[in-house]
Amino acid sequence: MAKVTASPGNVGIGQRAADNRMRHIRGLLLVGGPAIALLIAGPFLFGTYLLNVLIQAFFFSIVAVTVDVLWGYTGYLTFGQSAFFGIGAYAAGLVFTHGGFSPSYVLLGLGVAIAVAAAVAAVLGWLSFYRGASPFFATVMSLVLPIVLSQLLLSGGEWTGSSSGLTGYETFDLSLQAWYGIAGAGLLIIATLAWFFVRSDGGRTLVAIRDNESRCQYLGIDTSLVKIVLLIVAAIVAGVAGFGYGAFSGVVAPELTGFVLGTQLIIWVALGGRGTLWGPVVGALLINVVTSYLSGSLPFAWQLILGAAFVAVIVLLPQGLVPLLARPFRRLAGAGAQPILVERAVQARSAQGASEPALQMNDVAKHFGSLKVLQGIDLYADAGELVGLIGPNGAGKTTLMRCMSDGAERSAGRVVLCGNDIKQLPPDRGVRFGLGRKFQNANIFDSLTVAECLRIAGTLIEQPSLFRRSNSLALPPYALEIVRATGLDRKLGTVAKDLSHGEQQALELAMVLALEPRIVLLDEPTAGLTKTERTQIGSVLASLAHRYRLCCLLVEHDLDFVAEIATRIVVLHHGRIVMQGSFDEVVNSELVKTIYAGTPQSAAGHGSANHGEPS
Amino acid sequence: MVLALDVLTTAAILFIVTAGLMVIFGVMKIVNFAHGALLTMGAYASFVVTQLKLDPWVGLPLALVVGVAVGMLVEQVIVRPLYKRPLDAILATWGLGIVIGQLIVMAFGREVQFVETPLKGAISVAGIEYSAYRLLLVPIAAGLCLLLTALLSGTRFGVKTRAVIMNEDLARGLGIHSGRIRFITFSLGAALGSLAGALMTPLSSVEPNMGLAYLINAFMLVMVAGYSMVSLLATCLVFGACQVLVSTFVSPVLGGLTIAVLAAFTLRIRPQGFSHG
Amino acid sequence: MKPSKLQILIGAVSMVVAALASSTASCAAEPIKIGVAVGLSGANSVVAPAVVQSSQLAVDEINAAGGILGRKVQLEIADDASGAVGAQKAYDTLVFQKNVDAVISMETSAARNAALPIVARGKKPFIYTSFYEGKSCSPWMYVNGWVPDQQVAPVVDYFEKSKGAKTFYLVGNDYAFGRGMLDFTAKYITLHGGTVIGEEYLPIDGTDWTPILSKIRSAHPDALISATAGGAPNVALAKQLKASGLTLPYGNLAIDEGTAKSMGDVATGIYMSGSYLTSIGTPANDKFLDAMRKRFGKNMKTPNELSEPQYEAFFLYKAAVEKAGTTDPDKVIKALGQVSFDGPRGPVKMDESRHTPLAMRLGQIQTDGSVKILQTFTNVDPGKQCPNIK
Repeated sequence: MAKVTASPGNVGIGQRAADNRMRHIRGLLLVGGPAIALLIAGPFLFGTYLLNVLIQAFFFSIVAVTVDVLWGYTGYLTFGQSAFFGIGAYAAGLVFTHGGFSPSYVLLGLGVAIAVAAAVAAVLGWLSFYRGASPFFATVMSLVLPIVLSQLLLSGGEWTGSSSGLTGYETFDLSLQAWYGIAGAGLLIIATLAWFFVRSDGGRTLVAIRDNESRCQYLGIDTSLVKIVLLIVAAIVAGVAGFGYGAFSGVVAPELTGFVLGTQLIIWVALGGRGTLWGPVVGALLINVVTSYLSGSLPFAWQLILGAAFVAVIVLLPQGLVPLLARPFRRLAGAGAQPILVERAVQARSAQGASEPALQMNDVAKHFGSLKVLQGIDLYADAGELVGLIGPNGAGKTTLMRCMSDGAERSAGRVVLCGNDIKQLPPDRGVRFGLGRKFQNANIFDSLTVAECLRIAGTLIEQPSLFRRSNSLALPPYALEIVRATGLDRKLGTVAKDLSHGEQQALELAMVLALEPRIVLLDEPTAGLTKTERTQIGSVLASLAHRYRLCCLLVEHDLDFVAEIATRIVVLHHGRIVMQGSFDEVVNSELVKTIYAGTPQSAAGHGSANHGEPS
Repeated sequence: MVLALDVLTTAAILFIVTAGLMVIFGVMKIVNFAHGALLTMGAYASFVVTQLKLDPWVGLPLALVVGVAVGMLVEQVIVRPLYKRPLDAILATWGLGIVIGQLIVMAFGREVQFVETPLKGAISVAGIEYSAYRLLLVPIAAGLCLLLTALLSGTRFGVKTRAVIMNEDLARGLGIHSGRIRFITFSLGAALGSLAGALMTPLSSVEPNMGLAYLINAFMLVMVAGYSMVSLLATCLVFGACQVLVSTFVSPVLGGLTIAVLAAFTLRIRPQGFSHG
Repeated sequence: MKPSKLQILIGAVSMVVAALASSTASCAAEPIKIGVAVGLSGANSVVAPAVVQSSQLAVDEINAAGGILGRKVQLEIADDASGAVGAQKAYDTLVFQKNVDAVISMETSAARNAALPIVARGKKPFIYTSFYEGKSCSPWMYVNGWVPDQQVAPVVDYFEKSKGAKTFYLVGNDYAFGRGMLDFTAKYITLHGGTVIGEEYLPIDGTDWTPILSKIRSAHPDALISATAGGAPNVALAKQLKASGLTLPYGNLAIDEGTAKSMGDVATGIYMSGSYLTSIGTPANDKFLDAMRKRFGKNMKTPNELSEPQYEAFFLYKAAVEKAGTTDPDKVIKALGQVSFDGPRGPVKMDESRHTPLAMRLGQIQTDGSVKILQTFTNVDPGKQCPNIK
């Protein structure tokens, strides 16, 4: 199905895969080796006190991993993971205190920990990640959760032990060494799984969401759902860690669920290095161990140092301390190899004929209070058409584009995309109906490489793996053409924010096309481009419409450009469509000249083809 | 009747504690998580006054001075670089709160301390004896609200500040030195926080972590109240009333939760809170 | 590049070495280490300084007299933050890192409950010197503070007989101690013909009693009895009670003389019941107070119900080790139930199921913070606190 077109100077896929695997193994050994050695040797090297401290630190570090995945990678600042940890700990405490201790009670406790953590996370996610929620609100909610939970526990009277907590319940009769092995293995497993996940193709979506959530939505990704599911998984992991902690320590108290622990987790992750995964693990372990040794002798000074370091890191060194110290190791691990570009045949649905119009808008209107931005918009566009949308600034062009793509945007009327009524649906549903939208300023994922951007763009068509990194990247032919024509195929490993403006625009267009849309909305695609780039884009758009039968709508000010390629022009003025027709008709009409000039123009002398007249 | 007095005094306390946070949030759109530590600082200022056997009322101006000084320093060193990163500003100010807390512990020790009440005893109101100091806080809160509203609407500084609140870029384009406005505002907010701490101490106790409990509630109130002092007063009244009702009729512990939970739901339903847009 | 890798390696190695060193260090040590966990921060922090002073005086006196079995005594003090999680950290440090020979602690019930499993795991003799709600039992613990069976009766009886109180309102902190005390008190009141018309709790760290005070106001009880954590909660409650203008007989089951003195005139009129007051006129007490004044001078914190038993406990431990002839935990544990000490409170012997009979005094706090003794009861039995422990 996929045609393999090898790029110039390329080694075969098989060889590249083998190289990748070697690099992977080397990287894993470098980090995992010492970790496993410490795990096995620990019980023989460390005294009782240190073992005790380390076991607790291991459990905390597992939660720190979840915090890093949520905050460092996905951009969701959360103080609430301590609540899930506490839920797990109290599950252990409550079941063992009020029930008893036996294998069935252990399973019950574990089940309660997982179920309650998941349920609370689902509710929290639903409350925090609704459509249009600000990240600030999500953080506020994550702050409220531990407070509510610790207060509920405090009001639980004798049942939860209130301020005393629950102590002295019967629990596993394991030696310290055994607990060390269990906790350490748990940390190793969770950290490794998380590591594979965040580096996988699917895991890069998290960073994409952090960088540019709206772009993700316009690529068809239901970001709310992704975040909710991620939160639920993170909550379950934290809950299980809490259960382990409660079973080990024999003491559960409201401090384990509270706001203070939640902020300590953030501090460990920040100092360790957010978004690196192993940084927070090392940071959490080191800080916990050092604190337990110093809190007796230097109680004030140590906390002061930590607090000051935290402030310094946030202000000056957001990437944290540990990555800085370990930069030399990175060079050993080496850079990853880039995937090979491969052509993907366009899906059958896209090739469907023009049985119905691609875009249909009936009587669409949009008003802000009494201000009417759009009125009575009736617009049809078919596959293979290239419609230019022109009009002076403030005519409502961008608003019109928004009404086409986001179901909640318009105030009245009906919008149908490829035969599907978008009703009040969010943009990611519109994308699934076949819409692709290119924004005016290059709307890409700043921290991801070109290859990663393109891969995520194709999520709807080819679900990226949640575990592996694929060696090939498949793109539809028209996307591939853009990538090759603009030289992006030689810059697959470049981080997107390091590209030139023109390259970023091209990348965004390629990403939109990787969706294999049937309708493409383009908002001023030529803004800021050089003459050569403009010509390139022009021919690309023309071929999209004529050769691949996509329906393209573009908002443009450059009338030259529009003249070259558009099959139809639509003129918008004061929120109404005042004229539709071919380029010559429109440009020569009295009405349009009046609109652009502001005052009536005489018919003769101001000729046809007003080149590049700004509005 | 007692209930009504409880509600009024609780609302007054909430307002006094939150005013400083509000001033900063309104202008700079960042939440100063060091507010709790500033509260604690002001409380320790009045503790120092008690130790020196001075008139307890001296604690208030001392707290103001300390607050302004710390506020100025913090704005320059920490808040300014984080202007574009609001979530990070929350974290940095929280870290700052930890640092201030530790410095207080190093200076004064970890123990819980107690401070002389400037106004002892109870007054008879409508036949009931009620704590005189608590009642005093009501006119103090009202006065503070009037003062701040007058400052923001009546003075040149106030007009410039409101311009910066509404549209900073435009304000700068019109020649308003927004950097200086932010500097003054932050110092003012810090001073208010410190003052609040000094005012709170006679009610309970002074210890290094006392500001924390007030911080969360203040934060939630500010989120809901929007940008005007009057709406903050109204919010404090409504939410304060709910807290007192829940504390009295359900349980004091759950009462402490009320504000946070109510605020969360309000924000969910109406993201702009009670502000007029 | 090379230097920073080396630095990391050195750091890791030194951490390992330090860990090894700390775990083997205790074998070579000569002094007998006694761990003291106390609430240097949190609710108990108001009374902690007095407890530390008592401990220091006891250790000084023991060392001046030649130590225990010829070995010097060394104090290891840890902060338990007056709570469960803090106690866990403190005891992990005392038992496993410092490897103390015994623990003598005055702490909240929350801290004690968290400490017991650790003390049992580490096999350390543990003397709990605080008054508490009773019925806490462990093969490794002895208690020389009072329990409700000794302390509640004087207060309730006095209110019923001398104040004619029929209805009572109970308030406390929501944890083992608060609930346990008020539970016992409610039963005692009902048994003696009174009625409990209200029972309210606030968490240990709660500072706002306003809604509860309003409830008390509307219920019009004849008397108020409180059982909060010792220290800060007492002060907050008393201050707010005074400020609210409520006047009714108020018995505080958890107050100590030191806190009362620091409260100034807010504490005037409060009734209390306890085994130690500075105004007990025994020669042993006079000697103790003189020694405290000499040792600490201006900085002396008023010795009180929570700090004086701590002083005695060191001598009880000394006697037990000398009787057993060794610091071996199993032998010392057995001996602790057989030795006695004549201290400022009178004779103390922890042989009634790990607890001790005590002389109890009912007092009322005066305007200058001192306590006037109204009644004295000698040799009050603690009751069967731990029937299952031999």
